[in-house]
Amino acid sequence: MIKRRDFLRASSLASAGLVFGAPSILSAAAKSAPSDELRIGFIGCGKQHEVLFNAMKDIPGLRFAAVCDIMKYRVGSSASRIKSLFDYVPNRYLHVEDMLSKETDLDAVFVATPDFWHAPHTVMALEAGFNVYCEKMMSNTIEGARSMVQAMDRSGKLCQIGHQRRSNPRYLFALDYLINGEKICGQIVNVNGQWNRAVNASQDINVKESILPDEQTLLQYGFANGADKKLSLAELRHRFLNWRTYKALSGGPISDLGAHQIDIFNWFLGTQPKSVMASGGRNYFKDREHFDNVMCIFEYDTPSGGARAFYQVLTTTSAGGGYFESFMGTEGTVEISEREAYTNVFRESGSSRNWDGLVDRGILTKVASGQAPGGADAIAAYESAPPDKYAFPGGLSKPPHQPHIENFIAAIRGKAKLNCDARHALESEAPIYWVNQSAETQTTIHFTPEHLHT
Amino acid sequence: MSKKNSPTDLGSSLGFLTLRLWIALRSIVTGIEKFAGSKTQEVAVNIDGAPNTYGLTSSEAEKVYSLNHYHGVPAPLYDKLSKEPLIPEFALKLYDLALGPALIIFGITLLFGIATRISLFATGLIYCSLTIGLILLKQDGGVAWLGIHVLLIALALFNAKHDRFALLKNR
Repeated sequence: MIKRRDFLRASSLASAGLVFGAPSILSAAAKSAPSDELRIGFIGCGKQHEVLFNAMKDIPGLRFAAVCDIMKYRVGSSASRIKSLFDYVPNRYLHVEDMLSKETDLDAVFVATPDFWHAPHTVMALEAGFNVYCEKMMSNTIEGARSMVQAMDRSGKLCQIGHQRRSNPRYLFALDYLINGEKICGQIVNVNGQWNRAVNASQDINVKESILPDEQTLLQYGFANGADKKLSLAELRHRFLNWRTYKALSGGPISDLGAHQIDIFNWFLGTQPKSVMASGGRNYFKDREHFDNVMCIFEYDTPSGGARAFYQVLTTTSAGGGYFESFMGTEGTVEISEREAYTNVFRESGSSRNWDGLVDRGILTKVASGQAPGGADAIAAYESAPPDKYAFPGGLSKPPHQPHIENFIAAIRGKAKLNCDARHALESEAPIYWVNQSAETQTTIHFTPEHLHT
Repeated sequence: MSKKNSPTDLGSSLGFLTLRLWIALRSIVTGIEKFAGSKTQEVAVNIDGAPNTYGLTSSEAEKVYSLNHYHGVPAPLYDKLSKEPLIPEFALKLYDLALGPALIIFGITLLFGIATRISLFATGLIYCSLTIGLILLKQDGGVAWLGIHVLLIALALFNAKHDRFALLKNR
């Protein structure tokens, strides 16, 4: 028997041929035909699921067919949201195995479960024959991440990892046009990135107990992993809601917040780092297993020379400009962030290149000429003239995750290549798995193929 | 009584007409503006003379008028006034609903000179009512600004006897 999704791929190719050159009204009709609809299932219906759903609800041609979470309340909320927007109710499940065995005609599943479940859920879904979009960090262990790459290769299915900046037009423009095309940075010698988050945004999550899963379910789903004693129900529930703070359940802030940005370091520099040295501490949230603040330095050999990248994740202060990745070169700097407000481009005062032409061509807009702070405390002999400030010519008018999901959907339809499949994601993520170890042992880790292989 | 000082003196009549038109237009346009909003459109930015292929867009906002955009009392003021114990919620809702249409209606009657004295008085009451809200919110600048409007309306009422150019004469 031909499965619906196999038929879908074949029929979409056939219909593409049929409508080629036909009047646009026929082409439009073909696009909206029910046979072109992709059936989507969700594994995990928590906060990140909401982010993903909000980013895909306006993408045409999707039917949200099934939702699954061990927390009944979340399943109901997700189903209600779908019902209110689309006037149909998805099938609801409390166990992944149930969903994957009964929903045989899904075209893709979205995995947004706690990090330690990413690998098992992704592997299960791939082996069941579904295309998978899995949230980053790929796994809480590098072995888990490698198992996802192997499952993708074995199954021949698509596996996109949720490093959504890889499909963001602003990031693609910065890399293709500004850095590699116009080479406005000159030689990039330093990279600086950070995610600084205030204490009040880093507090434990609490919800009313009556809607939480029971003890048996939490034990069954591994929320006692890594515990060296029998846990009370309250402790289990804390682990369920705050899994990001436990070592056996997540990679901590460097993986939670840092993964997106260190991925950009490696993507933009076009290579993996050769070493990492890190420092971290439990300075404010003293009872947490993971560090609350981590700082690390990666060293790179890039085609244009050596470079260092500093990254810090702070969960105790939001000062210092929020979150961004800054590529600092001898001629200019591209400071980019998922938030447009944190994005700037700077031209070094001594740059030999005039950027007026870039402005005339619409590649950049000039914000301000560099202005020396002046004042009696200025030490003229040591200070360099301040750089001119520029901005990107435009922004993204969709939710930040939408282009990445659109890329995944287009790849399922055979119209695009994945922007961040599991193998490329792991090539980029692999160095991150060693940051915590470097900080714990206070040693520099020099990477070998053994550390970074996929 | 000399012609110069009589109620039918042309200069006095034109002076009153000017004042009446100003108050009328002030009311009408203010009322219409309460139906104003903006429609934002995202357009692809041009790079090297052509729309970029990355999907970079910029916003172009266009001013539009519709019933959907109606806001009698501006939202920030509404929020503050809803917290005032002297203003009942139902009264605020009613006022919010009626303010825009009332300004337009009395502005039109003033423009055409229909029941001029009643229309001027009603417009004066509207500005008095607006003043109450601003006094409660301690926006003294706004209170003074509205006070000037009330003075102009009172001046118009004093000189309503010069109202020669009107569709319906007010007695």
